[in-house]
Amino acid sequence: MGQHPFDISYVFEYFIRLLPSLRITLYIVGSSIAFGLIVGLLVALPQLYRVPVLQRLARIYISFFRGTPILIQLFLFYYGLPELLKLIHIDVSKTPTLFFVILTYSLHSGAYISEVIRGAVTAVDRGQVEAAYAMGMNGYQAFIRIVMPQALAISIPVFANVVLGNLKDTSLAFTLGILEITGRAQTIGALSQRFIEIYLSLALLYFIICFVLERLFFRLERRLLRFEQSAEAEQRLRRVEGSIFGRATSAAKLRNKEARL
Amino acid sequence: MIQLKQIKKSFGRHQVLKGIDLQVEKGQVVAILGPSGSGKTTLLRCINFLERPSDGEIEIGGITVQCKRPSKSDIHTLRKQSAMVFQQYNLFRHKTALENVMEGLVVVQKIPKEEARERSIALLKKVGLENKLDAYPSQLSGGQQQRVGIARALALNPKVILLDEPTSSLDPELVGEVLSVIRKIAKEGITMIIVTHEMAFAQDVASHIIFMDDGVVVEQGSPVELFNSPKEERTRQFLKRYTPDGVYSI
Repeated sequence: MGQHPFDISYVFEYFIRLLPSLRITLYIVGSSIAFGLIVGLLVALPQLYRVPVLQRLARIYISFFRGTPILIQLFLFYYGLPELLKLIHIDVSKTPTLFFVILTYSLHSGAYISEVIRGAVTAVDRGQVEAAYAMGMNGYQAFIRIVMPQALAISIPVFANVVLGNLKDTSLAFTLGILEITGRAQTIGALSQRFIEIYLSLALLYFIICFVLERLFFRLERRLLRFEQSAEAEQRLRRVEGSIFGRATSAAKLRNKEARL
Repeated sequence: MIQLKQIKKSFGRHQVLKGIDLQVEKGQVVAILGPSGSGKTTLLRCINFLERPSDGEIEIGGITVQCKRPSKSDIHTLRKQSAMVFQQYNLFRHKTALENVMEGLVVVQKIPKEEARERSIALLKKVGLENKLDAYPSQLSGGQQQRVGIARALALNPKVILLDEPTSSLDPELVGEVLSVIRKIAKEGITMIIVTHEMAFAQDVASHIIFMDDGVVVEQGSPVELFNSPKEERTRQFLKRYTPDGVYSI
């Protein structure tokens, strides 16, 4: 508790002051999800195709990153990796801390993303691949043209979980001195002693980003899954939208839909 | 034109196909009948290597594949000779009816999109779905989906169409529309092998009937021979169970 009485106006003031650091938070999230996608695919493939040794290694990798706290992983990579690299005479003492942070978060989300990919691909009906093979497609064509688009649509809700989780996990990067929004909030708090206000605005900031991301993923999912919408479901949806927003919007929606077709 | 020699297939210890020989001429419609578990679907799936036979030889339209050690390209070439219609339709769920039919033409046969499109529309017209071109499978009834499945198979212009119980997962009232489409294309002289439980339909459409039980071909012949004077006791038993007395007598 600070020595000041609670004053809501500070919540807004601090909210504004946190905004510049948002860049770093989003930078960590963006790059670690991007690398995580590549790592995730590389780790999922040997499992999907049952490649003997790689399959085992992939499981170990996933178990490690899912089975240990991200905080410990951060410390292990930040303090451990330079020591390890010293053994083979590579000096990384001048490498910025942010590099280690992004590396850790990438590997961490990569483990989760590989499970998302594996689950989504397995969830695509076996008959789809058979139909592709039966018409003479090769394995690559069947995967790219038939399995992947469907797996992508299935995976969006779970993938959204990974991204939101990753966003909130970045709040631990301050332990290595990164001034992302949580790190920034702590310095502001320490200086002003207005802890409630600063953490309120911090919570508000996280919530807003998550909320926006949630909406975006939801729209993406609806868009990608439009082929699963049966005729009746679509009609029901139209009715609901019609009753909430009045006729105008639903008519506009309909026109949009026709235009797209 | 199609020749199977000593096709064998085991799942683990259980031998499902115990050496099947089969010959199909161009333009023939062959119906495979038999009780559940007799191996008829497995046999059909062996013809395009959706199941890999343990042993034997498959020839379709001049392409011969030894089943023991087939190379990837062998399997690939063989698959291009045939097309399949599935019990569960297996339409590509993320593609419209039209895209489903076009897919093989564009991706496998590398036909220009415009031409593929025209051909696909013509085929969908043929199966009576010209007003459903842009519908996704989830927006179609089972019967409509299966008709798209048939159009998709026809589009590839294959040497033979393999139909795996094409009406088994349909509501009774939808069976008719699919059967009449199959009947229509049978009349055009397209070679077909049909696994089916529809006895009356098999008798009506097929030019040759094969009765399988327990992994072997028990008896084969023309519909008239097989339905009216089956030689084997096992065939007689089977037909008795599935057909009310007197329906098939002339």
